[in-house]
Parts: sequence; structure tokens; C-alpha cells
Amino acid sequence: MLTRLYADNYKCLVNFELHFGDATLLLGTNGAGKSSVLDVVYRLKQLLVGGRQVGDPEAFPASTRTRWGHRDVQTIALDVELDGERFEYRLEVEHQGDTGRARVHLESLTTGSGPLFRCSLGDAELFKDDHSEGPRLSVNWTESFLGRLSAGQSNTRLTRFMDFVRRLVICRLHPAGFVPNASQESTLLERNGSNFAAWYRHLMQEHPGQTVEAVSELRTVIDGFRDLRLEKAGSDTRTMLVEFTGDDGDYSLQVDEVSDGKRILLVLYTLLGLAAAQSFTLLIDEPDNFLALPEIQPWLMALSDACGDAGHQAVICSHHPELMDYWGAEKGVLLERTNGGVTTVRTASSLGADDGLRLSERIARGWIESASGDAP
Amino acid sequence: MRRVGTVLLCEDSQHEAFVLRFLKRRRLLTDRPRVVKCPSGSAEQFVRKRYPVELKALRKRHAKSALIVVIDGDKEGVQKRRDQLADACRDAGIEDRRADTESVVVLVPTWNIETWLAYLAGESADETRPDYPRLPKESACQGHVEELAAMCEAGKLREPAPASLQDACEEYEGFRAKL
Repeated sequence: MLTRLYADNYKCLVNFELHFGDATLLLGTNGAGKSSVLDVVYRLKQLLVGGRQVGDPEAFPASTRTRWGHRDVQTIALDVELDGERFEYRLEVEHQGDTGRARVHLESLTTGSGPLFRCSLGDAELFKDDHSEGPRLSVNWTESFLGRLSAGQSNTRLTRFMDFVRRLVICRLHPAGFVPNASQESTLLERNGSNFAAWYRHLMQEHPGQTVEAVSELRTVIDGFRDLRLEKAGSDTRTMLVEFTGDDGDYSLQVDEVSDGKRILLVLYTLLGLAAAQSFTLLIDEPDNFLALPEIQPWLMALSDACGDAGHQAVICSHHPELMDYWGAEKGVLLERTNGGVTTVRTASSLGADDGLRLSERIARGWIESASGDAP
Repeated sequence: MRRVGTVLLCEDSQHEAFVLRFLKRRRLLTDRPRVVKCPSGSAEQFVRKRYPVELKALRKRHAKSALIVVIDGDKEGVQKRRDQLADACRDAGIEDRRADTESVVVLVPTWNIETWLAYLAGESADETRPDYPRLPKESACQGHVEELAAMCEAGKLREPAPASLQDACEEYEGFRAKL
């Protein structure tokens, strides 16, 4: 489970620290930094397991530095707890002004009992599971060497951390981009969900039971929904069809022909189905976009169950009152910026007030400050 | 369009997790209910104020609709809380629940839900003690739910049982009979 994120000199995140529970709801106005939190984790994943170089547009280009700070070093740190053991990952990216060149200044992975990996300006030191010294290497400083390491018998702890990073699912679903055809399987769901068909094709091979479970749940939330099917459409290509039962008989539509909201539901419930097969941390930006009001709370309840029962974790950004009022009081974290400054954090316990208003209503009025007695 | 058959009005996520998991375990939930819980501030007051609203809404719905209310007894206890809910109905100009015909169940864990959880974990729970610890996370109540379900299947609670839980069992049996 992701327990802490630290970011410095990353967009509006300056000396920024955020702690996570098994479910966390990020609240705040537009521009408060909610999406930046998900974004920085996404970029870290791209660097560690996506094969990106540190200065690539999808990792940490110079444009991701805090604009007004004029500093060249960005720092990102993640604390992760896996099977009761705490891992601390730290990355320092050094930019060479605005030249577009960047390098890994420092990268390290430690546990409470000692180091597992450390790389400073291209000099990498590996440590074994018992923290005894392993090989020292000169490595390419424009990429994460940690991400290039292969699993071995003496680095199982390091491998466990990297498996956690691979299982991070970071989404901002955009149904208009969904592609119905899958020419091959995809092990990872794209951030915008566009390769849902290819990802589902992979799931059907690897976790068939979980796709059955997702379909079963979808039947309870989408009127007339019967099944999700991948139909042969060429030698290697499959087209995703959504099958319905209507008053006048059965029919099927390509996934890009069903409504935006239904496409989102297909992904959201498939993610929950997958939760039964493997633990993961889901970071999702505005999952409520495109959903109808009655569709939001049932998914949240199912997600809460998944987080509680099987060690899954969810971090959600949302402006929607349904989410605010269902999760906000207990799992809410308010991100704020004053006059375009840096992002600061307030936890749910400081959001409460006895004024009888729902949290969403108080946020809508900008009355959150009244919790501490300030005049609104 | 999904139509909600059951509304759960409660104070917090621990109430929600315990009650829904119990009903699911006993196969009394056919769909996900609508959960209305306190979004901030005084949770007990929230439930009291909301109760007449939900009761009135229930009466506009078809006969199969149900309302489950969970409110901690705190120092007031079961009967005083029920009286307060009745007062809230009177203030709102509506009749309190009709126990014989309406599918409305009112559960009043006393002192609070943690008292029941302590009892179900094997302790001899004291309803006048306000400081039983909270679970690390709501879902950790699954074992407690299993224990209660086993007691239900055996037809009796372990003695001595909290009076408020005994009362809840009677509410539950009446509720089940109406479904």
C-alpha cells in the first residue's frame, strides 16, 4: 500500500507531503493540485517500469518544475508498505537549466532495516535482501537503473517493490478515446482507458474468473447488459462487443458505440473484478465523469469493500458531491492553494462542522474554513 | 434505471460496514441499498434530523421499500433514542414508524457500535463504557459479523449480552418477517 508521497519542485507541489489510507478522497478546487498528485505517481511509474528516460515528456521534463522556484533539482519520494515492511523510494532529478537535458541525481530504495539500492550520478550500488553489499556499477544516468534490474534470488525485496509499482493503476478515463479493436493483448490499461479492449483481452486470458465476476456485477448496474465479448475481426484482431437484451430481442454494439457513461462503467467494474485476482493501488481522477447519479454510490460501495477486504487501495480525485458526502468526512483530504502558491493539505478530521450542512454544500459555499471558527 | 429498495440511514462507515455485511451474510440484501450517512459534524443529530425525511419518503414508495436506521445510544440508551426519533417525527408533523406494517428497523448500539464489536470479539461488554476502541478499518468487522450470524443461527446470543444488541435482534426478526 502506498502510505506517503513527497514531492518538491514538481508543478504546484513544493515540499509537499501527503499520507494515504486504504481509501483516500482528494478534494479541492480546480488547480489545487489533485491531478498533480496522480500525475507525479504516473510519471514515476513511467520512469520505473515504462522504459522512459528521466527527461522524456511522459516522465520528468523540465516543464514539470515549479515555475516560480527556478530550481533545477526535483525530488519525489514514495513510502510503500508491503506485507508489513516499509519501503522508502527516493528520486532526485537534476535538470540542466532549460536545455531539456536531465539526469538522475539520486535514486534509492531502502527498508526500515537498511538499503536495497542506491544510485548517485551514475554510480549504482546494489544490496542483497539481507542488506549486504552487492555489485557496484556505472550506469546510464538518464534513466532509472532500478527499472532495468531483473528479478533474482538475492533481490526479492527489491522485486516486490517493483511489482507494486507495476500494479499501480492510474487513470483519467476518457470514453471518446476508446478503441474497439484489439490486435494484441495489453497487460496495462492506458491512463485514458483507450486500450480497454486490448486490456480486457489480456484479462480474459490471465484472469478469466475475474472477467466473469465483472460481467456478473455489470448485469446489476447496466439495464439490459448481458455480456462483453471479443469477436474475431481478422487474423489477430478482436473487436469488443457489448451485448444487450432488449424488449425486442438481443443485440450487440461495438464498445465505442455504447454511451460514454456505459463505457466508463465497463472499465470501473472490470477494475473491481480484477481486484479479486491481485491486489493493486488504483489512483483515479474523477471516475464520476460521465456517470449518472444512481451509478456512483454503488461503485464506491463496491470499491470500499474491495479496499477493506483484500488489501486494495484507492485514491480518488473528485468534485462530485456524491463522493464528497459518501467518503469525504472519513477519507477526505482537502488540497488548497492560496493566490496561486504551493499546495497545502488538510485532512478530513479538520473538515467537520456542526452546522448541519453536507460537506459538499459547505465546499460549494467555500465555508470549509468555518470548521476552525474562521468567518466564511 | 436501478431502483433502490432499501435505505440505510446511519452515523458513519462503521455502522454501514457492520449492518450491510450482516444483512449480506444473512442473505437479506438483494441489491445495494442507498446509504445515507453523516457527512460531517454531529452524527447522532444528523440521523435524528434525517429520520422523518426518510420515513416520509418511504411512505411515498411501494410497499417493498425498507428503511434501516442505526443510531448510537451513547449515554441516552435505546428507549430514549427511540423517543427522540419519535419526537423528531412529531416535530416534522408525521406519524412515527408503524411497527406492525412498515419495514422500518431502528438499531441503537449502546454505548456505540464498538460496544457490540467488543462483545462479539468475546469480551463481556459494558454498555455504560464509552471507550471501547475503534477497529483499525471498518471492514475488520467481518469476523464480528460472522460471530453474530452464528449466534443468530443458533437462536440466541451469548450471555450476558448487551441489552441493545438483544433489542436489535428482536428488531431484526420483526424486519425479516416483513420482507
